[in-house]
Amino acid sequence: MDALTKWKIVRILLTTIYLMFGWILFSGTFTLTSITLGLVFSSTVAFFTYSLFIEKGEAARRSLLPRVYLVGVYFLLLVFKMYVASFEVLLSVLRGRINPRVVHFRTRLKSDIARVLLANSITMTPGTVTLNLDDDHLIVHWLNAKTTHSRYAGNIIKGDFEEILKRIWI
Amino acid sequence: MILAILIQFFLFLGIIFAVLGNLGVLIFPDVYTRLQASSTCTTTSVFSFFIAGMLYSGFSPITGKILVITVFFIVSSPVSAHIVARFAWNREIVPWRKLTPPIREKQ
Repeated sequence: MDALTKWKIVRILLTTIYLMFGWILFSGTFTLTSITLGLVFSSTVAFFTYSLFIEKGEAARRSLLPRVYLVGVYFLLLVFKMYVASFEVLLSVLRGRINPRVVHFRTRLKSDIARVLLANSITMTPGTVTLNLDDDHLIVHWLNAKTTHSRYAGNIIKGDFEEILKRIWI
Repeated sequence: MILAILIQFFLFLGIIFAVLGNLGVLIFPDVYTRLQASSTCTTTSVFSFFIAGMLYSGFSPITGKILVITVFFIVSSPVSAHIVARFAWNREIVPWRKLTPPIREKQ
């Protein structure tokens, strides 16, 4: 048995476990018939779709199983910053005092999924919207601009997101 | 008791964010700023409603379902806001800027 066959079996098993988790979550019962039905159907679906779910060359990276506790920390930080920033946007709506600017800056993240997550979480926090993402160059519309200097604006907007994402996915 | 107060607090937050975020759509001057007010404040309000629902249902399969919906919402909502903003940026719509008072020449 060569390495590719082993990797194929592992991929089918991982897809089955993922589908089984979804089945238990959405059915909400633990009877024998329900679990056997779920196993049969999730292994059938996994046998046909494992190559779409996990790609062939994805083994070496950390993209399959990232560091779980850091993902949790990132999620909590995202929710916290979302609430803080949306109160600021509410204040500026009530005052009617805004100072919008477009700022450009670069990111040091290397992998695609980390860059996409960074752009998504910049859009997620109110007050900033990502206009364009080209390689490592981000264009961001900022509602209450404090500065237009590239590096300082990047440090304020990216905040701690980039540090944590760099430790999760590089 | 405390749980009921927490649920009411989060529902109240959601209502405030929804109403004032949509008020910002009427107040703000151009596409980008209106997008900021509408999409992102509404995201926060829907998120508050989800948290209230999770607290209300307790530890049950419904909480897991709401958690899955929340994760999907976190991925999909910024993407839809980004599509509108990127379209406006590619059409070369000039962002609104606050007019600064003219600088006096030194005598």
